[in-house]
This record gives sequence, structure tokens and C-alpha cells, in this order.
Amino acid sequence: MESNDLEEEEFGFSRNYFLAKELCSSSKKSARKVSDINLVDEQELREAYAKLEFKHEKEINNLVNSYRKSYAEWVFMLRCGFGLLMYGFGSKKGLIEDFASTALTDYSVVVINGYLQSINLKQVTVTLAELLMEQLKPQRKLENHPKNQQPFHTQSMDDLISFLDGPHLDDGESFVCVVVNNIDGPALRDSESQQYLARLAACSHILMVASTDHVNAPLLWNKKMVHTEFNWYWYHVPTYVPYKVEGIFFPPILAHSGSAQTVKTASIVLQSLTPNAQNVFKVVADHQLANPDGEGKWLRMPLNNLYTVCRECFLVSSQITLNAHLTEFKDHELVKTRRNSDGEDCLYIPLTSDALQKLIHEISQ
Amino acid sequence: MAPSADPETSPSISTSNTDLQPFFLLHKAASRKPSSKTRRRIDLSPKASDASAQEYNDNSRFETFKLLWSNTESIIKDVLKNLNTTVFDGIDKWVHASFDAIRACRTPDFTTAMSMYPIPNNVPIGAQIFTALLFTKNVESVDDISTFADLGAHMRSSGCLVANLTSIDFSAKNGVGGCLKTLLRQFLLAGIDAPEMSILASWYNEQENYDKPLIVIIDDVERCSSSVLNDFILMLSAGLRLQYSLTCKWKNLAIDREWVIKVPIILVLGVATSVDALRNILCSSACLYLSVCEFNLGTPAERMDAVIEAVLLRSCQSFNIGKHVATFLRNYFLRHDGTLTLFVKALKIVTAQQVFSEPLSFVLRKLVNEEGTEARLTFLFFLFVYHLIELLYTHYLIFQGLDGDNILLREPAMKRALELPSLQRFWETSGNSIDWVSALSELKRLHQLWSSLVMCLYEIGRYRKISLLDLYCEMLKLKQQNFGANDLNLVEKDYSTSVHNYQSPGCLLDKGYIVRAFQMLRDLSAMELCKILDRWEMLTRGIEKIHEKVKELQSQITLEEKRSRHDLRKESKRPTARTYKNDKTSNSTINEKVASFLQSMFREYIQTIESIPLHEIIFFDNVDNLNTAKYCLSGQLYFALIGDPRRRIQADLLESRKFLKCSCCSKNDGVLVPSMHDTSIMYTLVQEHGDLINVHEWFHSFMAVISNPPLQAKKKLRMSPSPKKRKDSKEARTKTDASIQAVTELQITGLLRMPTKRRPDYVQRVAFGL
Repeated sequence: MESNDLEEEEFGFSRNYFLAKELCSSSKKSARKVSDINLVDEQELREAYAKLEFKHEKEINNLVNSYRKSYAEWVFMLRCGFGLLMYGFGSKKGLIEDFASTALTDYSVVVINGYLQSINLKQVTVTLAELLMEQLKPQRKLENHPKNQQPFHTQSMDDLISFLDGPHLDDGESFVCVVVNNIDGPALRDSESQQYLARLAACSHILMVASTDHVNAPLLWNKKMVHTEFNWYWYHVPTYVPYKVEGIFFPPILAHSGSAQTVKTASIVLQSLTPNAQNVFKVVADHQLANPDGEGKWLRMPLNNLYTVCRECFLVSSQITLNAHLTEFKDHELVKTRRNSDGEDCLYIPLTSDALQKLIHEISQ
Repeated sequence: MAPSADPETSPSISTSNTDLQPFFLLHKAASRKPSSKTRRRIDLSPKASDASAQEYNDNSRFETFKLLWSNTESIIKDVLKNLNTTVFDGIDKWVHASFDAIRACRTPDFTTAMSMYPIPNNVPIGAQIFTALLFTKNVESVDDISTFADLGAHMRSSGCLVANLTSIDFSAKNGVGGCLKTLLRQFLLAGIDAPEMSILASWYNEQENYDKPLIVIIDDVERCSSSVLNDFILMLSAGLRLQYSLTCKWKNLAIDREWVIKVPIILVLGVATSVDALRNILCSSACLYLSVCEFNLGTPAERMDAVIEAVLLRSCQSFNIGKHVATFLRNYFLRHDGTLTLFVKALKIVTAQQVFSEPLSFVLRKLVNEEGTEARLTFLFFLFVYHLIELLYTHYLIFQGLDGDNILLREPAMKRALELPSLQRFWETSGNSIDWVSALSELKRLHQLWSSLVMCLYEIGRYRKISLLDLYCEMLKLKQQNFGANDLNLVEKDYSTSVHNYQSPGCLLDKGYIVRAFQMLRDLSAMELCKILDRWEMLTRGIEKIHEKVKELQSQITLEEKRSRHDLRKESKRPTARTYKNDKTSNSTINEKVASFLQSMFREYIQTIESIPLHEIIFFDNVDNLNTAKYCLSGQLYFALIGDPRRRIQADLLESRKFLKCSCCSKNDGVLVPSMHDTSIMYTLVQEHGDLINVHEWFHSFMAVISNPPLQAKKKLRMSPSPKKRKDSKEARTKTDASIQAVTELQITGLLRMPTKRRPDYVQRVAFGL
């Protein structure tokens, strides 16, 4: 019976897939565009998010509070050597931090916010090692341990991990707990970070509690990591709490590409460049502003023209220096090239004239 | 440790400046508490004592778990080690032989060591690397991690110097320098920033290590970066020729020229597939330097059977798994995972869950130590305390246990003991007098009988490659009435219908394993039968009744054999066809005897697990914990083990009302109402589309759902005079924001693929159906 169920399930899955594909091809593709919707500026949208009231606040609070009953079980599983992995829909940041601050008071707790764009795991490990050292100190004094150790921040990752994993003279209850919000977040998604996290989780003095939101999160790990290093104990804890902080770094779907945002980033990049480079950029911008195309497009500036103009203004001395500037611009998407009908490389700045004027104004200040 | 539940404060949403820090310290460890014993005596106020009772319970549970698990873990470790001993011994012999060979051709002085070897095609023995290929017969390298660690320990114990490397050390990113670094780290036990082979050479020459073989074990060769592995092997073997090829890629490694002779490294490579794997990874010039010898490890199924035998059948004092859990694990092993690691982890989870959820699990601590008397004492003590509780009518008692433990028994635990269904049945049958001692010893006796009979059956099954895992699951599923039947045919009949249902797709059996084993028993030759009886004789030692009967059978068989031999000599001159017939009939009568003996044993001694008193404490078999309850909230083995976020996150979204339990949405089941969770509405709408969703339409249908007011509100709307336009537009804006937030949330869960440049107006579905 059970096997039939499973087969039925697998069959059902493929059937659904093909039905969905069929539905897509049979019905005529709708030609309606996103741009038809009254779009909002990203900045405004972000502000609106903060004020947004969410539905079922009471029920959500009840649901989240209902998980408090399980805290004792979670602590028990942690002590048994499992890593806790919380999954289910809704932000679990509040829940696991609450769990850590009420039920894990016996251990030092370090929180990693995996939803951010960049995390330095080495720094985290150094902090963990320092915390463990601090916890072990009272016992070490008794043991008269020699102080020949070099500071942690100068040690390699391998040394730090072996310190955290090492047998120390204690009662076996010296732990540092690592809480990872969104272990499948953008900063931790690469295999190297996951390897390091797995090795950390496997250390004898580390306890790990993590949350995951992506449906394909298990693909980040191989069996060795899942079963022997992280040793996950999965808990399904849907909270339905809105992903406020976690969603900050996702570009919203119905926002304008956000001219305000682009101008800001562009001016930051430009201000970090040399005055000469800024002036080269200004030359392109002036050309673009001086030659507006009828349909909101711009007349692009041929590369040779730019070189001539820049040389005349003593901005560059050779094609090579100009190219260096241009590479910098292209890397930051300040300038794009396209070939015109004569086969010449032409330059343009992918901004509206309003935005461009604003930008020029900002960098001239 | 116990959470202070405060329903007033909500932990759900707190935005602070720590949200944007990559990491931060939440809090430091609270200072160590004074010893719990003293504290418990002092705190006598109800609340404080409640907390300390909780803490005591936690600690007691943890101690139980630690004891149980360390016991199980060491059994598993020993079993696996024993399984591999012969292979390890083989490798050990080969290593020493190879080392002697290297030593024999070692060049005596420095000048000879510096001389060039002429042509690579004719590789001299001094430049060859002795390499053992250890075939793991298992694509999943995770099971072999412990095997290679054990091998390392085994080699160390026989006087070798060992380094265990994995494929991660041979990654293209770190290059050959990276693996050299790990190698030095493991041999020299110190981190070295600039790895050089000369460091290893001098370390090997200077110290007392000189006469020991150096072994490098690489877990999974197939996963190593081939270029790095090539370089590594060339570096090891072609060292002597380096004096004229130093200019190429090794120059930055600054390799000492003489070290090949000085450092006789022997390789042990773990290979999952076949010898060809090595040829595929290595270039021909590197292959030339390897002098290969092959060894084989056991298959995963063999290991599985050995572990089941040792953990679940042999050590019947500890806790065990019930039929549902066993069947689930068997199916998952055969169909999905195929690793012993998962099975062991599942056992660990099951142990932890059982210890946590069963208030009486601390009894297991006594059972583990195999001391029947001690367990008896505990139960007598139990009974005693229970009467005391009745007398004193207190919530809990702090009691000095008979074995010196401080045991704090709480009323719930006592109640639980008396409410165990199995015990109540036992109570009824034994005429309303609770005989704890006999209940417990009965439990042990039955379990032991049960296990030894399973093992007897497995001995037969071995001849036709029936795995213990299959037999074990089927035995757990047996119904008692089957044994009451006089004829095995009834059992057979039952099995031809019922067993069918849970066979794995890979198995083409039309009958149950037990029935097949019985049939096999009838078809076995006299020789095989003798062997089996010998094994049975070993297995049933300690169980008097069965053991005697087995011996009886043995003697009968030997008698029978003697007689048949005698007859054979007598009738040798008669026509052969008849002799053959006679032989066959006599043989089959013996077989029939053995079969009926086993059958009677089954009938007499095998009981279903459910009928064994106190089985709740020992057998973990919570049905709710398995597939049957797919979406229930309680902790479940299946989900604890595998998670299945893909299915469950979708279910969360599609069935949000089940979790939120709100009054507004749960009324209209299956219909979208504006009060539902926004993301839930968005995702339900996704189900109506094909794999591509037009964002514009999707957005509008969302707006239609949430701006569709309930009927009463509609009426009010009509009555109210001219609603303000501005307010309307503000509302619309909020709705847009809500929808965008919902899309972002779907994006975080990974259920949607965002518009691309090619398809700017469409999002793509990722999951189809639960």
C-alpha cells in the first residue's frame, strides 16, 4: 500500500509537471506587460514595506508562542549532538533568537545573519574561539596551562577549527552555540562557506542552530555534511512572520529599475575615481545631453571622437589610458558600448537625461 | 535551561540594528551554577522546586541518552571494525612486504641517489609507488569515512606512520601545495606555511620514524581533481628525475631531489567503482609509477545486516525499533539512500525521541547494564515510591535511590507506568496483581527468544541471499494468529497477500521472506542442514529449552546419516535410481523434522511485540511519527531525518489556515478570501497557471481577490455617501505593496524564478504539485 502511495506520488508529480507545460503552450501567451501596472519607485516601496500591516498578527503570535513548548525538546536534541535546522514558511529569525536567549543561557551564543550579502566566516570563527577560550580560562588557570599560544586572528582556519574541536580539560559542557539565520542565504550559498560551516558544526565544542527558507536548500550539502557534520535534526516550524529583513536585498519585482538608486550608486563609484576619469565620464555625458534623440534614445558617441575630445582637453595622453578609464566604467555599468552601422564602437550611458543631469550635478559638487 | 514561557511577549518580530551586522554576540554563557544537588535541597518553594525538577528531568534524560547511545555506538563501531579486520590485516601484510621491497632496493649512499634514472618506460622499483586500491563497492563515500579512519588507526597500531587525506585536499583550487600542506600537518602535527617535501624528508630521516613505512590514505580517489592527483603522484615518484626537470611546474615547490629514496611513501586509495577509474583520472605517465595491488571491502547490505544483528538482535537489553520504523528505514535504505550512515543517524534520532518522550525511559539505563537484579530493584523501588506518593499526596519526591542515584520521581511518571496498555493487559491476565519483576524478566526473555529465532531463520536465508533487514522487518510484522495455525500453509496464504504490499520495487518476490526461508529449509541438502544446525546450536546457547531440542535434532541427524551410509554400503549393488530415491526421501524427512521444529518454536515462543509487557518503553514505534501523518505538527522521524522542505513549504502556503487557525479564513474551505495570508493567496493563484505566469495578470487576479469585500461590507459601501477617492488610492497602494512583498517572499522560498531579460513579463514556476 505504502509503495503504491509512493509510486502514485511520483507519478502525480510528473503528471503535474507536464500538465503545467501543456497549459502553458496551449493557452495563448498573454501579451500584457508588467510596465502596464502603475509602477512604484523602489525607494518608496521600501518605505511602504516598513509600514505595512500584516494580517493575522494575533494568530501568528499564538503560533510562534506555541513553539515555546518545544524549547525543552530542542535543547535536549542539541545536547544529544544534533544540529537543529528550522524550516517552514515565514521568517524564523525572531523565533530562533528568542529560543537562544531564553533556553540557551548556559552557552555563549553567536548569531550569523546569512541573509546579508557578505559574511566573513574567518572572523566568526575567531570570535567563537575567543569565546571558548574565555569559558575555558577558569579551568586552565587551575591546570597551569602554558601561555604560548599566538592570538587567534593570526591563526589559520584549520588551527582555529582544531582548537574548537580539540579535547580540552573540562566537564564536557563547554559549548559555544552558533545560530545561523538563513544558512541558505546569498552570502553562504557557495560550497566553500558551507564546507566551513559544516566543519564548524562538527566541532566538539560547537552547537549549531540554523534556519533555512529555500525549498532546495538540501542541495547545498552532500551526505557527509548532512549526516555526519551538521547532523541535522529537521524541525518544521512555519511562522508566517513576514520576511522583513531577509527581503531587503531582493530586488522587488514591481518597482521601477529605480533611477534614484542608480544615480546614487553611480555617483559613489564616480567619486571614488580620479578627477581625470570623472572628466572623461563628463565628456560622454555632455555629448549625450547635447544630442538628445527624438524617442528618448541618445546619440551614441563614437570611441574615436571621445579620444580626440579627451586629448584636446588634456584628459588622456594615449588610447591606453582612455581604455583603462573605459574598462573601469564598463565594469560598474556606467557606460555601455554598441557598434553603429559603420562598424564603429559607440559609447552611451544607460540613464535617462534627468538622471544623468542629476548625476553630473552630484559629482560636480 | 527551562524556557520561561511568557505568552504576553511575542518573540516574533523585533527589528534592531543587529539585523544588518553579518554576525554578533547574542549573549555570553551564564556563570556556572552551583552543583545541582545542593541547590535542589535548598530550594523548597514550589516554583523553584518545579524548575529544579525540570532540570533534574532534563539531566536524567540526557544521562539516559548518553548511556544508551554510547553503548549502541560502540557496538556499531566494533561490528564495522570486525567486518573489515581481514581486509585490514591483508593490507597490513602487503604494506610491510612493500616496505621491505623498497628498503631492499634503497640506494646506500647519496651519490647514487643523485644519479639519473634513464627512461621512464622502464621504471625501476625504487621510483615506483606501491599503491593499494581498496574497492569500497559503494558510491556513497559517506559510509567509508569511518572505514578509512579505522584503517588509519589499524596501520598506526602496527607501527606505520599514517596520513588520512580526502578529495577536498586534492581540490584544483589549493593545488598540489594544498595537499602537501595537509600531509605535513598530519605527519608532523604542526601547521607549516611553506610546504616543502624536504621538510618531510628531514623529519623522516632525523627522528625515530626512520624505520617505519609512511602511508598516505586517500578516501575517494574518483572525486579528486585529476590534475592535482597527477602532479602529486609524479612528484612522489619522479623525484629523482627532477634534477633535470626542475624548471617546469614543480619549481615553486622547491622539492628536494633525494627524497624519493629517503621517504618511502605507500599509497592506499579508496575506489568506488573499478580499476578503470584510476586510468581515467591519471595520465599514463603517472599510472606507470604505480605498482597496484587490489583489496575489497564488504557491500553496504552486508554491513547493514551485521549492524542489525549486533544492535537490534544481539544486544536485546537495550531499546529497539518497532515494525513501522523498521519498515520505513528498510524502504528508505533500499529505495533512496542506501547508506548505513543514515540508518545509524535514524537510530540515534529514534533513541533521542524515545528517551525524550517516554517518561519511563530511564528504566532503560538499568536494562543496558544487563543486570536483571538491578532492574528488578528499580521496579520494586518504583512500586514502593508509588505507594508513598499515594500516601503523601505530594507532587514529587526526592528520594535516595537504592543504587545510590538521586531519583526524583514525579507523579506523571508513575501514572504513566500504571497506564501502559501492555502492562494493564499483563495485569489482567495475571489476576490483578502487578508483578513487576516477572513483567520485566518476561520482557527480556521474550525479546531474547524472539531475537534468537530471527537469527536462526536468517541462517537459512543466507543460503539464498535473503537479507537480515528484510527478515527482521517481516518478523516484526507477523501477526500472532499465524503461529497458532497448525499448518504453515496458513501463514503462507496470509503472506502471499499481505507481504506483497510493502515489498520494494526492486524486489521481485511473490512470497514473504519467512515463507521462503521455510521452503528453503525443506530443500536444503544434508550437509547444509548440518551446518545450519551447528550454527543454531551456537545461537541458542543460553536459552535452555530451544538449545536442548536443537541438540536432539543434531544427534538425530548424525544417526540418520550413519544409517543412510550403512544402507548405502549395503545396497551399493542394487540399481542406483532406487538408492537415489531412498536417499532423497530420507533427506526430506529430516528436513521436514527440522522445519516442523522451527515452526513449533515460532508457535510457542514468538509473540507479537504488542503483546509483550512494557514494550512501550523498549520498542520505539510511534505510528504518528511516520508517513501516515504527513502534515501534522508533532515531531516526526521521517521529517526529523529528511526534512522535505520542498513539499512542506508548499503545504504551508497552500494550507495556511490549518496552521494559523484563524476564525476568518477557515470558514470557507478551499476558497480564496481577502483575509488570507497574502503570500498564501499569491501562491494559490500560481497553481492556476502553467509553468509561466504573466506577472500582470497574476497581479490583477491578486488585487481582485483581496479587494473583493465580504457581502456585508459591500452593502455598507453602497450605503455610505461618496467614498473619498484619495483614501481609495491609498488602499490600492497598500495592496500593491502587499503583493510585492508576497512575491519577494516567494522568491526567498525559491518557489518562483524571477523575470529574465528574455522574458521580462513572466515569472516561472519551480514546483509542480505537492
